[in-house]
Amino acid sequence: MSKSLCIKCKGKGLCGRPLCPILEKFRSTENTTAAISTDGSIFGASPPAVFVGRYGYPQVTAGPMIPPQVDAKDAMMLEDPKQWLSMDIQDVISARCQLVRANTTINVKDAMKPDRLLERSQELALSRSPVDTEAWFTKPLQQKLKFDSVLTPMGPSGAVKDFDIAENPKVPKKVDYLAYDTDALAKDVVCELFRSDIPTEHITRLLSIGLLGQQRKLVPTRWAITATDDMAGKDIIDHVRDMPLVSEISVFSGGCFGNYFEIMLVPRVFSFELLEIWMKRSVWSGGSSWIGQDMEDINGKKGYSNLAGGYYAARIAALEYLEDAGRQASVFMIREITPEYWAPLGVWVVREAARNAMSSIPRTFETIEEALDDMATRVRTPAQEWKAKTKMLSDVRFQRTLDSFL
Amino acid sequence: MFKATIDAYLLKDSIETLSVLVDEARFRISPEGIAVRAVDPANVAMVSFDLATDAFEDFSGDDCELGLDLSRVTDILAVADRDDKVHMELDEDAKKLMIQIGGFSYTLSLLDPSTIRAEPRIPQLELPAEIVLNGKDLQKAVKAAEKISDHMLLGVEGENFFMEAEGDTDRVKLTMSRDQLIDIKANDTRSLFSLDYLSDIIKPASKSNEVTLHLGKDFPIKINFSIANGAGTIGYLLAPRIESD
Repeated sequence: MSKSLCIKCKGKGLCGRPLCPILEKFRSTENTTAAISTDGSIFGASPPAVFVGRYGYPQVTAGPMIPPQVDAKDAMMLEDPKQWLSMDIQDVISARCQLVRANTTINVKDAMKPDRLLERSQELALSRSPVDTEAWFTKPLQQKLKFDSVLTPMGPSGAVKDFDIAENPKVPKKVDYLAYDTDALAKDVVCELFRSDIPTEHITRLLSIGLLGQQRKLVPTRWAITATDDMAGKDIIDHVRDMPLVSEISVFSGGCFGNYFEIMLVPRVFSFELLEIWMKRSVWSGGSSWIGQDMEDINGKKGYSNLAGGYYAARIAALEYLEDAGRQASVFMIREITPEYWAPLGVWVVREAARNAMSSIPRTFETIEEALDDMATRVRTPAQEWKAKTKMLSDVRFQRTLDSFL
Repeated sequence: MFKATIDAYLLKDSIETLSVLVDEARFRISPEGIAVRAVDPANVAMVSFDLATDAFEDFSGDDCELGLDLSRVTDILAVADRDDKVHMELDEDAKKLMIQIGGFSYTLSLLDPSTIRAEPRIPQLELPAEIVLNGKDLQKAVKAAEKISDHMLLGVEGENFFMEAEGDTDRVKLTMSRDQLIDIKANDTRSLFSLDYLSDIIKPASKSNEVTLHLGKDFPIKINFSIANGAGTIGYLLAPRIESD
């Protein structure tokens, strides 16, 4: 098995093993801190959070996530990446491990005619703020953590007998109105929610628990996260494409949790390229480094990115910036993953790290070469290793456009 | 008002000359025929397309503009035989194009022309070299270059037209002298072009026995040819790449 397979797969199971050895390592070394009463019931404020698994699709496990003995004030941060940015990886994991998954097995198509348990999960998912919830389990809980490249870590899980919501969910008007609109396509609803500044996590939650669109289905959380990033991104691209060009070459940098971004905007029609550099001993790469590349031009992306969910999460950060600025640009991004990123926290890390970079004060340059030289001073991996991998930059640098001959 | 009948293969070829660069186009209708000016989204290549009334079996039209999704038209034409006649009529009030073809009657929704990219400004260029050659020869050269590289150098050296492609390890060069060409106005020139674009543009051009190239030094290339016995003229303009190092 080649080492780079782990980076591409990130726990999907491409190597054929029943369990991912890298993820198992994390599972065995972590102990959950969840306080669980012995009578098999838990009570706490769900942030709110729901989870839909992907194993066995279309028969999946789904249900709410509840942190036992945690009140509304503390539960808020368990589903809010913005608040995790100031924490370290260990603290994010311990916080998320308080979330107990209360599962039932259910067919994805049942989202249209939910049973009582699914209906309550849906009700919970609508809420903007934590909701007191109680759940009774059929068996004692398994002390097991869940790690994944796309998903945020979470605590133990158990099959739920019953659960109840102890207070009314607080539902934003826009969410309420769109969740009951069965004529609108999920794609359009996701974009409208995104434009109404509903947090990405909330949209993902609604999509995965089967509350959006015409033909409603449960969508495994992992897929819903990337689907939301992609749909919202495509919608912004449609707007950005008609906007004037940025006025100069600029470079942004920043990041979090060992995910370091260098981002260059070039005055040219929209295109996007991401280089991922997994340094030695970062989470998936083992003893050797690995560089991956993917891009799209103005005509958009066909098929699924070989860089998986991180591609769409990074793209959305740049698009948000361009849309706010009312400009378009060719975007070149380097994501360097350093050994500080020692446990996979989920794709939100990529989104927030790229957003962090885009909010920095940009440096401006006369030429792409100068901008690249500047970026190279902060990227730890030597420039000659990654420069050759970029495809878009050679186009941007060497292909002339017709308007320069007017 | 617009009403016309044309051979299916001619309409198919016409649409193809546009669809290699754009997905949607504004068709400018006038009593003289149909004209389209379109530029690809990246602003690297543009096409000027003119089809005079002679290309049609019958044609009547007032000045107006139709917005068409080209892939929809291609889909409709896919069921037609080569020699079928296509009858088109504009329903102005309903904003639909009625198309009759091989016994089928289609109603095709039009796009609002204002939602399609505006017609580009066309650069006025003085290009010193002119080469006339068979479209097939040009296609062969492009295909050979594609095997080696992503871009291709086109130029004139002395009395000869040449094309050259250089990859990481390999290179290929083709030289054509005056007697292998239909005509040449020789002036030393060379420009580099992306094969992504060139191979798309060459597809419709390869069907023509006579393709005219206009070349300069690091300047766009003009690729002109005609269809429908000269009643239709197509001109592409493709921006060059700068030669690195």
